[in-house]
Amino acid sequence: MKEKIKKEVVIIGAGMAGLTAAMYCGRMNLETLVLENAIIGGQIANASGIENYPGFLSVKGSDLISTVQTQAENFGAVIDEFDSIVKVTLKENPKIIETEEKIYLADVVIIASGMNRRKLPLPEEKKFAGRGVHYCELCDGHAYQNKIVAVMGGGNAAVDAANFLTKYAKKLFLIHRSEFRADEISQKKLRENPKVEIFLQTEIKKLFGDKKLESIEIFDKISEETKILQVDGIFVNIGVEPNTELFKDELEVSESGRIIAGENCKTNIEGVFAAGDVREKEIRQLTTAAADGTTAALLTEKYLSKLRGV
Amino acid sequence: MVKVYSFEACPWCVKVKKYLISKNIEFEVRDIELDVEAAKECQKISGDLTVPVTTVDGVNYVLGFDKAKLDAMLGI
Repeated sequence: MKEKIKKEVVIIGAGMAGLTAAMYCGRMNLETLVLENAIIGGQIANASGIENYPGFLSVKGSDLISTVQTQAENFGAVIDEFDSIVKVTLKENPKIIETEEKIYLADVVIIASGMNRRKLPLPEEKKFAGRGVHYCELCDGHAYQNKIVAVMGGGNAAVDAANFLTKYAKKLFLIHRSEFRADEISQKKLRENPKVEIFLQTEIKKLFGDKKLESIEIFDKISEETKILQVDGIFVNIGVEPNTELFKDELEVSESGRIIAGENCKTNIEGVFAAGDVREKEIRQLTTAAADGTTAALLTEKYLSKLRGV
Repeated sequence: MVKVYSFEACPWCVKVKKYLISKNIEFEVRDIELDVEAAKECQKISGDLTVPVTTVDGVNYVLGFDKAKLDAMLGI
């Protein structure tokens, strides 16, 4: 029998939005629990240098998030990163968040579950995941010292990953199905590196290998040529998808799967807020994630005051 | 003694180490970036340098942060 625990606020996700909300909720003396199924910091935990967060010329993602985590904890928020959520029921009051070990009963739920990296859409992905197919260059890049790697994707994250991996790899292929979307400055750095070969308008069709990845088949959409490249590893950076699997039966979500909530972060269920990249909105930046966390927390306090007739 | 093959900047390695601390389990950190011998050991155990690799006996190991597998291996 799982233990039942009451909380005023449960925040789902410990990225910038969730931790900012936790910091504000803590400051307002709300009993706050943050649950994180993956890594504290979310997408930015892996960022090697953030140069567009006000107040910092350049800061490592892990350092920035660690500071925000300390701020949240100093104000009394509790963060649990080891007890994964298995089910949520948001329409009831209190809202029920069931984890592997406990059942939380919360007056307010702030969903800041962010995004997950999109998986390589090939049937061989499962066979080679962690054995040649990777999603975190910071975690696994060092395993490719003097080896041949490919990076799949053409956005900023992909090109930044490729630039990072050139410090390990003896040869790097950047493969993208259309044209670059990354910033000019990052593209230029990559193009100027003699270790790098770039294949645009090119798709990855197949992965080959016995126990580990050994080669990939690529298809040039312009010349319609097929090639086999010998590679030891591939780092997939083909975008992200919202982490809304647990909520989409109860909350309104957009076509892209993000939670529909306005600038006030209020969802279609009273007492449930959506903050950060998981919320459907036009601009998704670290700064807007922090802004959402702030908004959701302050309106949480208003909602709770109204609920209690204060 | 539990050994965690890892390196400092690896976020999943940090998570494994924090988890072991939360369970009061003593462990030795084997940094594969700073220690060539540790890297060789890691390669021998898992056949790879992908980390974190957690092991008790140097034969059976858990790759990544997998709470259920860690609990089973460590008898938590």
